[in-house]
Amino acid sequence: MSTSPRKRPASEAIVAGGVVILLIAIVGLVFWSGAGEWLYPPEPATEEAGAISELYNIVFALAVAVFVAVEGLILWSIFRYRRRPEDVDLPPQTHGNNLVEAIWTVIPTIIVLILFWVSWSTLNEVDAISAPAQRDLHVKALAGQFQWQFEYLDADGNHLATETRPLSPDGGGMAVPVGKNVYVTLVSGDVIHAWYVPHFLFKRDVIPGQVNEFEFRLKDEEAGQVFRGQCAELCGTGHRVMLFDVVAMSSGDFDAWLDQLVEKENATPPPAPSGQAAVEITAKDIAYDKHELEVPADAPFAISFKNDDAATITHDIDIRQGPGAPTLADEAPIPGGQSTQYSFDGLAAGTYQFFCSVHPGVPGMEGTLTVQ
Amino acid sequence: MATHALSPAAVPAYRGGLYEWLTTTDHKKIGIMYLVNSFLFFLVAGIMALLVRAELAFPGLQIFQNEHVYNEMFSVHASAMIFLFIIPILAGLGNYAVPLMIGAPDMAFPRINALSFWMLPLGGILLLLGFFTPGGAAAAGWTSYPPLSERGPLASPGPGQDLWLVSLILIGTSSILGAINFLVTIFKMRAPGMTLFRMPIMVWTVLVTSVLVLMATPVFTSALVMLYIDRNLGGTFFLPNEGGQAVLYQNVFWFYSHPAVYVMVLPAMGVISEVLPVFSRKPLFGYKAFIFATVGIGALGFTVWAHHMFTTGAVFLPFFSLMTAAIGVPTGVKMFNWIFTMFRGQLTFSTPLIFAIGFLTMFLIGGINGVFSAAVPVDFALHDTYWVVAHLHYVLFGGSVFGLFAAIYYWFPKMTGRMLSEGLGKLQFVLMFVGFNLTFFPMHILGIKGMPRRIADYADPTWNDWNLLASIGGFMIGASMLPFLWNVFISLRNGKIAGDDPWEGNPLQRATSSPPPPYNFDRLPEIRSERPVFDARHGLVEHDATPPVPPSLAAGDEAHRAIGPSA
Amino acid sequence: MTAEATALTHTAGGGDHGTPGVHAGRGISNPILGMILFITSEVMFFSGLFAAYFATRAHNQPWPPNNCGEPPLAGCHSFAELLDPLGLILVATIILIASSFTCQFAVWAIRRGDRRGFVRNIAVTFVLGVIFLVMQAYDYTILFGEGMTIGSGAFGTTYYTLTGFHGAHVFGGVLMLGVILYRGLAGQFSAKHHDAVEAVSLYWHFVDVVWILLFSILYLL
Repeated sequence: MSTSPRKRPASEAIVAGGVVILLIAIVGLVFWSGAGEWLYPPEPATEEAGAISELYNIVFALAVAVFVAVEGLILWSIFRYRRRPEDVDLPPQTHGNNLVEAIWTVIPTIIVLILFWVSWSTLNEVDAISAPAQRDLHVKALAGQFQWQFEYLDADGNHLATETRPLSPDGGGMAVPVGKNVYVTLVSGDVIHAWYVPHFLFKRDVIPGQVNEFEFRLKDEEAGQVFRGQCAELCGTGHRVMLFDVVAMSSGDFDAWLDQLVEKENATPPPAPSGQAAVEITAKDIAYDKHELEVPADAPFAISFKNDDAATITHDIDIRQGPGAPTLADEAPIPGGQSTQYSFDGLAAGTYQFFCSVHPGVPGMEGTLTVQ
Repeated sequence: MATHALSPAAVPAYRGGLYEWLTTTDHKKIGIMYLVNSFLFFLVAGIMALLVRAELAFPGLQIFQNEHVYNEMFSVHASAMIFLFIIPILAGLGNYAVPLMIGAPDMAFPRINALSFWMLPLGGILLLLGFFTPGGAAAAGWTSYPPLSERGPLASPGPGQDLWLVSLILIGTSSILGAINFLVTIFKMRAPGMTLFRMPIMVWTVLVTSVLVLMATPVFTSALVMLYIDRNLGGTFFLPNEGGQAVLYQNVFWFYSHPAVYVMVLPAMGVISEVLPVFSRKPLFGYKAFIFATVGIGALGFTVWAHHMFTTGAVFLPFFSLMTAAIGVPTGVKMFNWIFTMFRGQLTFSTPLIFAIGFLTMFLIGGINGVFSAAVPVDFALHDTYWVVAHLHYVLFGGSVFGLFAAIYYWFPKMTGRMLSEGLGKLQFVLMFVGFNLTFFPMHILGIKGMPRRIADYADPTWNDWNLLASIGGFMIGASMLPFLWNVFISLRNGKIAGDDPWEGNPLQRATSSPPPPYNFDRLPEIRSERPVFDARHGLVEHDATPPVPPSLAAGDEAHRAIGPSA
Repeated sequence: MTAEATALTHTAGGGDHGTPGVHAGRGISNPILGMILFITSEVMFFSGLFAAYFATRAHNQPWPPNNCGEPPLAGCHSFAELLDPLGLILVATIILIASSFTCQFAVWAIRRGDRRGFVRNIAVTFVLGVIFLVMQAYDYTILFGEGMTIGSGAFGTTYYTLTGFHGAHVFGGVLMLGVILYRGLAGQFSAKHHDAVEAVSLYWHFVDVVWILLFSILYLL
């Protein structure tokens, strides 16, 4: 008459068991084949990243275990307890079981506490900042819409030099020595940005009105490596291009590099060659003060450029035939508060566009250059 | 093919004209309008998502020449999905179901109920109008952090951001009024015999959700108001150069927005708690534990907001890390209770159950990947990357949306008197389930490898294939809507007639016709447990015993088996 | 063995009517519960604003900021001077507190069935409420004249936002008082049926409590 649950065919249990084993097998295969690598973070480049990576591994192992156990239980239930045509009677109307509830409350609580404990100790390691005497280098990362700059300071916080080019292929980047305590402070003059380097497994927000700080120590073997970083907090239309590189160098190479940067910054700029037409432009509030320029054809010319915005905002003057056309003259941006002289080769007669490469598409930062 | 009929059939297909719908205060009609309106915004926001995925499928900028428009697209996608789709649609389900489930004739304040609804299409239109203003719609993310959301040449100078603010203040007010309505209805209008601990879990989840809405949404309103004052009245709340603080906004914002995620998922969990028992033919395992877990999640939900701000350097990390990890415990309790409802049951794989199982399997993944971010140092790596996009979609889509479709397939017969096609339902499920995982699982990989959120294009070629895969999956999800819409269209006309109780359900709505009459019930059965209709059908059963087959059911085996495994 | 569906009709509630706001022995009535929940949501709204105030104040020391420069400009009144707790605003505070009393008298009156007493007290409450609003507006004009606006840095922003929203809530309360005054004059309330009066009086007390908090925090702290 009625089919009690205990008399369900064994085949059902075998099928259900088979599905669960299949699940475990698939998960195992993913990791054994190395495909699981995709779910691992990049190779940690700093000591702190190493600690974070270890924590990740612990959480990951726990995650896989829970996933297999619980999904397995779901799959088992689905395959084992299907309603069969002879199941007219209701199954036992189990309302609950207090013991079982207690077990699956207490055990997860213990797991949670352990997890918290482990991440708390890792956090202390990662967020530790050494006393000023123990810091080997102080770099100030200036974030502006839409470019990074890196200012190097001495032990007393005095300015040494600023690297205004954020990317290594351009000859720039945030150069740092390996094996040393690098202390970084983060400054923004406009909106919130975030300093993020995937190989450091680390990011920190750059918040205007607040100075965030952190410290890292690159592993010795990373000397010569370049690590790509990117702004990780939506900051406007140029968010996706706010890239930078961290350039790891040996101590000696770094000292030489820094000396060079200081020298370059303190060098007197070359005088404008005589006979060149000089035009003056100022940029303020993300706009040029002139949108029409005229220079003679086929003669080199110079533009005197002043950036009147905040120190974190960089501007430049690049030239192209028109919107969408390739850039004919690509100049290095300067930070706010500075002036420079851009020298250009002679252009054939015609109409060109000058624009700021840090703020493309902003109407105030475009203009027409008439060459005749 | 009706099972044991418990009330006389109502006049079938009670429909008024357009005027009736525009002026109705009947919670059932209002609930249906919530469903339809919210679903429309789901489609609109979904298309925006498809545009985003189309752009990200290949490196380079193909569709959006102007990155600002891309920023508008994902900002409005998220804002619409959260405020115009998932929160209101679950409120709409509650609107329809709660009075029926507690044996009430309507909500406590029917006219305010109607007002709450009509504020939504208005709010939605205001939000979308932003696209037509110079400067475009809001483009600072759905989170709209200042100073990016303040005025400034490279921030948000246009009216689109103001429209966003006004729209959300309106929608928030609609939510709060709805919460007041639900709470008074649930506390004051239950049928005799229905104590709080005999209410269906769905009603409990709506209750806790309403408490969250009541307490948290006004705080969000205050953040929106302050940002509006900054933008338009010379205020300085969030302007660092003038004495304000950017992080202040984040704290006020997330104080609401974290409980909001429970608002977005608890009613869906309530649905699962209704569907699983019916299709397993046994009661929900651990009814009381479930209630405590729900209340626990609601309470804990107020203590974790700063886990969205771990990288700001302005948060007391250990407290928020501990509470965030702790909230996994009641969630786990629920997961086990659901599984043990199915365990040793007799499962009938109708579409509602299949979507419920989709919920369980996908929400589990969403819960697991959230734990990574609870470990603060790991969050330093994962925050603001595609890992978070994976997490939020696994819980909100894998969780809430799958739960929503379980509810739609489950309640469509009650609402319309017709059954949805099982075949089309299963087709939708397969497309949606596969498409969903194809879209969002790769995002774990993209995130851990370093791809940040909210970028129109990416620079690392190792990310290309995963992005393409995700985009293909996204279009599959879009495709899955087609069988669903077709299903609704044909079933409304030609679907199998549903009786009062097509699923052999447990709660009270099964004790009235499909669709119910305007006043809901002719008579109410006795209420002596949380499954009054089950009791009426089978007789009050001693806990855990196997009840004998009632003669009417044994005889009607053919009819009732038609809804069984072969359906 | 199948339990028959038992017909149960909703009892129309023939119980206790004497206790105010209580219906059918089921505790407070729906509209009053609704008002209490609404007030809860408004408390949370003000909590958000107060939280912002305290955070802003902590971030901007000294507080009030020195708006007259160093050395102080001639004829300039400092923020601290402008926000004198013993000035006009104290009178306005006393008036608002008094209005809470008259409001409660009105509630007690209608509970006893004293319609005339009710109307009298509600009318006084209404007038006192209007006077408070007028005084608040006048106070604003004085401050504007001294150059303190919502754009006056963090201090002006927080001051006007908090008092402005409070004033808006007083305005809403005054409108509600007007409605129940009108309805009272039309004889729509009795000892047994006056839920609206109870609800509005709860709201009015809430508005008063918020003001006491505001006044203490903005003027005294």
